[in-house]
Amino acid sequence: MEPIYLLLLFGATSSALYLAATRRLGLRHAGLRPALERVLECVGLTLAIAALNLAAGVLLVLALRRLTGAFVSLYLNTDGTLLALSLLQAVALQWWMKDGEGK
Amino acid sequence: MEAATHPRGVVRVAAIGRVRATARAAGAAALAAYFVCAFTPLTGAVYRALAMEAELRPADAIVVLGAGVTPEGELSGNSLRRTVYGIRLYRRGLAPRIMLLGPEKEGTVEAEVRARLAADLGVPAAAVIVEPGGHTTRDEARLVAERLSAFRPVTVLLVTNLHHIPRARLQFEKEGMVVAPAPVPEDSARIERPQHRIALAISLVQELAARAYNRIVAGS
Repeated sequence: MEPIYLLLLFGATSSALYLAATRRLGLRHAGLRPALERVLECVGLTLAIAALNLAAGVLLVLALRRLTGAFVSLYLNTDGTLLALSLLQAVALQWWMKDGEGK
Repeated sequence: MEAATHPRGVVRVAAIGRVRATARAAGAAALAAYFVCAFTPLTGAVYRALAMEAELRPADAIVVLGAGVTPEGELSGNSLRRTVYGIRLYRRGLAPRIMLLGPEKEGTVEAEVRARLAADLGVPAAAVIVEPGGHTTRDEARLVAERLSAFRPVTVLLVTNLHHIPRARLQFEKEGMVVAPAPVPEDSARIERPQHRIALAISLVQELAARAYNRIVAGS
């Protein structure tokens, strides 16, 4: 029940946003596809950067264990905050690449 | 910076284009995976497939693996569930002793907090073995084997979470123990809330990564 409810809610608000964007803001329908592609890019970059952060974190923990002899948990790298920070890095990179394409 | 029409600019724009295309493909795959995990029963089905059935039978000891404690002395939800389940198995008479594990964290020793709970719930102190040394499943298996070395071969009822049982069992069997899995009862395989399904999917990925780590880095 909950998955269906959430999907219906998502569909309804997406439709409302589409109508508001085209009628109130005057946005073109043709611009939606590139916008959605940007979203996919952002998600993909976030995942790639999160994977890099995770890999770097694992190496760092293994190095700390070896250098200090103290136990440092690998699970430190699975904190959800790292995904949010990766998103920030991804958005910055995405805008930077957009700038790089224009010059 | 050189213009995009300059050869180096053209190369740069092409490289950015490749990165963007790859990111789009990865993003589409990730979103598809997200929707499948969150909005279909697949996560629960995979969870069930990777889990191991309980084999509750008489053993030399009930072994309750560590799962975390706060510096204030409160067991984590997982730790509490495992401890209570281990105590229930003890009270059912499945073993004459219960071994409680869990390392020190910022001045609080999880195994000691668990032992106090066991005492409060009527488990005699003589039946409780406290082992605060292990930080990883592999460490725990080694320490349990040392502490129970008087029994050969030792049979243990292994108490941990459902998805953790296969990896833990492997580690304990490597140390020469006979393992009867006693996964903590949970209804994770039947959850419906998308956020819980995502949390379950993440814990599954973590567990699979831990198994891969054990195989590659630790050689087991």
